[in-house]
Amino acid sequence: MTATLDAFGLSDTGRVRPANEDHFVIASMRKSVRIRQSNLSAETLADRLGGAEAHLLAVADGVGGRPGGEVASSRVVEGLLAYVGRAAGCYHQFSVEEEQQFLERLEQNIREVHESILRDVADGEEAPATTLTLAMLVGPRAYLVHVGDTRAYYLRGDRLRQITRDQTVGQFMVDVGAWTESQAAKSVAGHALASAIGGSELTPSIGLIDLEPGDTLLLCSDGLNKHVSDDQIKEILKQAATAEPACQALVARALDGGGSDNITVLVARITG
Amino acid sequence: MIQKKICMVGVFGTGKSCLVQQYVHSIFSVKYHSTVGVKIDRKTVSVDGLDVGLMLWDLAGRDSEADIAVSYLRGVHGVIYVVDGTRRETFDQAFELEAIVRREVGQVPSVLAFNKFDLIDQWVLTAADEAAGPAGPGWHRIRTSAKTGVGVEAGFGWLGRATLGGSPR
Repeated sequence: MTATLDAFGLSDTGRVRPANEDHFVIASMRKSVRIRQSNLSAETLADRLGGAEAHLLAVADGVGGRPGGEVASSRVVEGLLAYVGRAAGCYHQFSVEEEQQFLERLEQNIREVHESILRDVADGEEAPATTLTLAMLVGPRAYLVHVGDTRAYYLRGDRLRQITRDQTVGQFMVDVGAWTESQAAKSVAGHALASAIGGSELTPSIGLIDLEPGDTLLLCSDGLNKHVSDDQIKEILKQAATAEPACQALVARALDGGGSDNITVLVARITG
Repeated sequence: MIQKKICMVGVFGTGKSCLVQQYVHSIFSVKYHSTVGVKIDRKTVSVDGLDVGLMLWDLAGRDSEADIAVSYLRGVHGVIYVVDGTRRETFDQAFELEAIVRREVGQVPSVLAFNKFDLIDQWVLTAADEAAGPAGPGWHRIRTSAKTGVGVEAGFGWLGRATLGGSPR
């Protein structure tokens, strides 16, 4: 199955922050072979060449409180685009070995951006840092790479599920039983990132999920989930006719809730 | 480096993710997070001096709303079936899942992990249960605890060796 997407993204500075340090991208890669003449059947050609398309969706949230967050989130998205540009045309149907190589190269690309950010920083200075959540859709399969506290959700039927797990100090402390959820929510340190591109720790989380027609994928920065609950997200995604009004409604709800941070949302619906 | 794909299979809440976290990161999470789709971790092991990269595919557990997705099993070299020793139904369903896997990918080296051994006082399985089901050289049974680490290294280690076609210990 080739995923046909209705995808849209929207980013807003919010009501408090002076600048928008989030960046996002939605891109499509197509293997394109133009048949000039052939006596093969149209079905054969369609099977071999038709519909070979992949999609990249990514959101990066520059870390506030240190210089250059906007630059870091921009660099990681640009780095991804450079990577997929170099490899354009390769994303179709992977063998098992190719699938693993693909994931490793994607992760390696992120590590290279991380190292390039660190190289540019003078001794003693804090490097600009960013989160990243990306989804690469190849056929029905969405490959996900995640760093920090940007998130990926998916909606199937009436069930909204968070695919990624926040890489924050608070989440880690809750996971190991040292803190309660309430303690993590109240603690300033709890919101610190346990993993970030440009940060002192980088531990990308890798996963995948097979999507079906009708499924909706949402990538977002934490400016959304600070003000909009999972139930509210679910209702908005279910009610919106297409991806664009879904994004507009999500951002509007976050702004209504206070807009304390930059808000970025990417919605992708599998339409066929 | 040789790469081997290992799938973690079982009912929800049996501790598949916790076993992987204990094996790869030596961490035990007390908070339950259900896996969505597949989470992939890696660990390099040495088998008789040969480095082997284990790709650990932690599959979302079977629950009332969704069975395991067989598309994730493509190209698998070994499977760990995880049973919660305190929940009888997870034992019964492990064999249903094994039949699904065998139908999809054939017989591959497999570990039957009786997990949550730290809760032995709440154990509902008998010794006869633990010996039941598929047997043979491609099978290994082991009691594990993601919390204490008991059996974790040994279980994954056996499977890593078995996927190379060597003599598992």
